[in-house]
Amino acid sequence: MTADDLGILWLTVRVAALATVLILPFGVACGWLLARWRGPGRTLAETVMSLPLVLPPTAVGLLLLQALRRNGPAGHLLERAGIELLFTPAAVVLACAVMSFPFLVRFARTAFEEVDPRLLSMARTLGSTPAAAFRRIALPLAWRGILAGTLLAFSRALGEFGATILVAGNIPGRTQTLALAIFQRTHIGQDAAAMRLVVLTVALGFVAVFATESLTRRRARRIGV
Amino acid sequence: MISLDVALTLPRFELRVETDLAGGGVAVLGPSGAGKTSLLETIAGLRPRARGRVVVEGAVLMDDASGVRLPPEARRIGYVPQDALLFPHQSVGDNVRFGLRSGARSGLFDELVEILEIAPLIRRSPAAISGGERQRVALARALATEPRLLLLDEPLAALDVELKGRILPYLLRVRDALRVPFLYVTHNAGEAAVIAEEALLLREGSVVRQGPTEAVLAAMTGEHVDPAARYENVLAGALEPRAAGMETATFHAGGARLIVPATPTEAAPGRTVFTVAPEEILVSERPPERVSARNRLFGRVMSVRETPDGTWLRVHAEGIAWTVRLTHAAEEELAIAPGAGVWLTIKAHAFHRLA
Repeated sequence: MTADDLGILWLTVRVAALATVLILPFGVACGWLLARWRGPGRTLAETVMSLPLVLPPTAVGLLLLQALRRNGPAGHLLERAGIELLFTPAAVVLACAVMSFPFLVRFARTAFEEVDPRLLSMARTLGSTPAAAFRRIALPLAWRGILAGTLLAFSRALGEFGATILVAGNIPGRTQTLALAIFQRTHIGQDAAAMRLVVLTVALGFVAVFATESLTRRRARRIGV
Repeated sequence: MISLDVALTLPRFELRVETDLAGGGVAVLGPSGAGKTSLLETIAGLRPRARGRVVVEGAVLMDDASGVRLPPEARRIGYVPQDALLFPHQSVGDNVRFGLRSGARSGLFDELVEILEIAPLIRRSPAAISGGERQRVALARALATEPRLLLLDEPLAALDVELKGRILPYLLRVRDALRVPFLYVTHNAGEAAVIAEEALLLREGSVVRQGPTEAVLAAMTGEHVDPAARYENVLAGALEPRAAGMETATFHAGGARLIVPATPTEAAPGRTVFTVAPEEILVSERPPERVSARNRLFGRVMSVRETPDGTWLRVHAEGIAWTVRLTHAAEEELAIAPGAGVWLTIKAHAFHRLA
């Protein structure tokens, strides 16, 4: 394990964690709305939010690139605000966030759907406002599912490649995450060095998915399915 | 005083209830799907599409005419559903505390814990207590809001007879000690008789009968309003302390002195309640002689109703209105008409203790 390897690991964990924290409130809110909203547009909203799951990551990356380049719709605003996003670590965070968002939303939605809406009505008759009922009933009952979704989103962010390489490039020490470094090292024939990084990703991924699995299992046992 | 004038469009019919209730205990009777639960949810503010006016003890909870519509959290209506709906992630104690308002009078929590005898359960999880205990906790939680009105949606229906025996006395105790007015949805005429002074009968969203419970039940007896309804005789009264070694005990209900099976003396709160199935009562024109049954009462037939599953009599005997079910053949042989004097014979062991 070289200092270089550890630097890449640290950058990867940092951007993935930051991306996950960033999407957490939005993911929980979208999951809640999808679980409770009974009106029109529900399927449409759900489909749009799930698109990053099915599109090639490079397609998402290209869309982001188009939006963020100087004369793109979002890039224009960013430039006026003096913010440089493309090919920076922040761009890696953005790519990771967009790609892992659907995982969080799906888990949060399922977790909220498992909360009996009558419990929320009951909380209302006992004096809770809708916000208090959400905080005191829905959130505590759904937290395991939300945490599982968060861990899965984090794992997805750790391995993000396609969208990242398009919006952030593959700049060693700046935007080069584990996935990008493995690609680059293999490309230039440093298979052994790439393999060391593979071992790191396996270890990281194992911990994250194992935690997700054990959380979901415990939840399933608790609700008796 | 509870004043209702509400309408709610349901998939099969329109719920339309316009009535004034005195505000003690009110039984809401009617077949499944008559709109009973929808009515309770409308009062509690859980049906956003309901229209009309709800006034409870002077407080206007909803009034379309003046644009008033309090959200459920501002109505102070205690709701106890059939399945208790305790919050599964909280202990029993936290469930009860959930209902306490910031301005709640001190000592309320302890008082509820004492009245409903849930002290040993406080630290337990709702999943770890019995159905009857869950109902008691749900009742305590609803009462913790110091409600203007309690809504009880078949709180006993999911329990078997033995468990019912454990909750009914608490309901009576709450009624007598806390004096909270309540609406009590039930399929069981006997429960209605013992717990509510007033009753209303709903069918397809409309009130078809209303009045003193006894009168509504008398009119309902044998009427095919509800295939699931049970017309047990439910008697509330006082049990004499059991004499040592006796297998029977004396029970005073109405003006009757009845011989019932002695049950192990336990700290039963408030009144004692016994039930007798309508099939368990024998009817004769003359006083029965030398029979083993311990209870013989003389009474007058108030009504006779024929239904496909038998003939239903209402007999007034010793201050109690009894429901009796006979086979058609037996009824023909006896040729019973309203106003006739008859003897009722009931074995001690036909009495089952509910509370």
